[in-house]
Amino acid sequence: MIDAEKLEILTESAKYDVSCSSSGSKRVNRAGGLGNASVSGICHSFTPDGRCISLLKILMSNDCIYDCEYCPNRRSAEVRRATITPTEICELVIGFYKRNYIEGLFLSSAVFGTPDRTMELLIKTVEMLRHEYRFNGYIHLKGIPHADDLLIMKAARLVDRMSFNVELPSEKSLKLLAPQKTKQSLLLPMKSLQNAMLYDKENKVRRRDAVIPAGQTTQLIVGASPETDGQILKLTEALYRNMGLRRVYYSSYIPVVQSSLLPTVGAGLLREHRLYQADWLIRFYGFDVNEILDESENLSMEYDPKCAWALRNMHLFPIEVNTAPLATLLRVPGIGAKSAYRIIEARKYGKIDFENLAKMRVVLKRARHFITCKGKFYGTENSQQVKNCLLLEGKNEVNEQLSMFSEKSVALSALTGEV
Amino acid sequence: MKFFICDDTPESFFTAVFYAYSESDCFITSDKEIQLSLGSEIVQVHSDTEKCERVRRGLYRYDNGAENDILKALRSCNNRKEQICFMYIKRLLEFKKSVRNAFNLSEVVELNNILYQITEETHRFTGFLRFKENANGTLYAPYSPDNDITGLLMPHFAARLNAPFVIHDVKRKIAGLYNGSTWIITCVGDAEICPSDSERAFESLWKKYYKAVNIKERPHEKQMKSSMPVRYWKFLPEKND
Repeated sequence: MIDAEKLEILTESAKYDVSCSSSGSKRVNRAGGLGNASVSGICHSFTPDGRCISLLKILMSNDCIYDCEYCPNRRSAEVRRATITPTEICELVIGFYKRNYIEGLFLSSAVFGTPDRTMELLIKTVEMLRHEYRFNGYIHLKGIPHADDLLIMKAARLVDRMSFNVELPSEKSLKLLAPQKTKQSLLLPMKSLQNAMLYDKENKVRRRDAVIPAGQTTQLIVGASPETDGQILKLTEALYRNMGLRRVYYSSYIPVVQSSLLPTVGAGLLREHRLYQADWLIRFYGFDVNEILDESENLSMEYDPKCAWALRNMHLFPIEVNTAPLATLLRVPGIGAKSAYRIIEARKYGKIDFENLAKMRVVLKRARHFITCKGKFYGTENSQQVKNCLLLEGKNEVNEQLSMFSEKSVALSALTGEV
Repeated sequence: MKFFICDDTPESFFTAVFYAYSESDCFITSDKEIQLSLGSEIVQVHSDTEKCERVRRGLYRYDNGAENDILKALRSCNNRKEQICFMYIKRLLEFKKSVRNAFNLSEVVELNNILYQITEETHRFTGFLRFKENANGTLYAPYSPDNDITGLLMPHFAARLNAPFVIHDVKRKIAGLYNGSTWIITCVGDAEICPSDSERAFESLWKKYYKAVNIKERPHEKQMKSSMPVRYWKFLPEKND
């Protein structure tokens, strides 16, 4: 069985990767096998930093040939090094999984030897899990940049999700901080994975044989380099639209590494939180990045991006909840995806009044300035006063990362995409 | 006011609905300690298969999912659950079509709220349940949920685990047993377990992992506690070090 110290080293090396979701795959168990995937994803525990543990997040090795400035495992860093074997990983996953500690495996690795060699060992591990141990639970595999395309495709047939981390939001920063990675080494495999997924879809490949049923994701470090929120979100939008990514994760920079090229202070959780809010607006609320902010701008810290947009567009409000179409309802601050849907459904049974809205979990503190119910307005007309009201309310807001499922209401909003 | 007292079986509840439907002012409950107001009349309800069936057919006629929702809602720990379900049924029969999405009716919102609590807790325990492996390979998970959700958790684990297992609700003294092909719910007292050889090793590795994966630089205990309420910690090894 795996040595406890090795587990500790390889976990600490892997923990800065944000992604931990186990959603998006419907893999079923087969006779005599262990595990399946739950499409909504399941959190198995929460750590004191408020993040969830869903997958066993571990590196195969932290002995890296690369020397990326921001990375605690870079070649020149003096840290404890460890490597574990595929068998050790498999035993650990099976032991944890049947005790219901975890939902699956998130396997990544530092590049040791060559990228191809590393990728081969990752594939060997996953193959062993799937075939020898007959494990059908969730597997998220990190792609190794510069690894051969054939290897990537082989891996993609075995796992539920893959990700290549873009890490830095511009090519310039990538050159400066991670010179061994290139933009091409990240984007090309993403593109070929996307093409493979499209091919499977068009040719109606059986679900269990299809490549990465839960799609691909990526991660951006925020605050380690000088890019604005506008640039970051532009990149995000392009990744969603052109690469078909399922999620872009933002990781607020934490200064764990000493370097003259890196800032000495962290980016703070509020910035990360705002980026997630804007990300949700792009994916679930029909917003374009250009509507949210300009490329040279940063997101407002005082208001959430939807409020900020509404305040700039006061001439579009108030709208009547009993007649407005879904797309318009979604743009009202305080009305989320779920409550917009409830409003549309409830209208079939009769008119909605102000009291009904509260029961549908509409946040009236915000929404009342932007809506009318049966023609009656309950908010403040003066736009300066509206700003003040929303500002005061924002002060009580908890600054946290939506993806990490926080307050019950925020957790819900993260699931439903309400902002 | 008439108080219909049923036991906690669905048959008894549906029978009570049959009697209560024609009353103008009544209350259905299975709560033995309910406070009665002056001048209230108590009716003990005894399950009647025929009357129960008539109510069920009535529900099915207008909304084929309603019975399932009601059966789920009756698992709630809310002591007004029978009354909430009854009010919902009355609305359904009044509209003569599904009222599932009529969120402007308070009865619908109330039923939805308790259904949400049950679904939410079930979902949480698909993650927070912890099995211990016994020497004979059987997995055993004690827990103490707010609502009676053991029957909802069993299919989830039966689909994914390849060993016999037991989910033990220690508060209600009931357990779900799975033998490798089918599962049942039964009453149990105390359970005695003898852990397998590797049990302690895996538990300590898990505790080690839990400590190591935390990022100390960004503490957020409040968020941890709201996602994983303290009342659930008793059965989590990582929280009992």
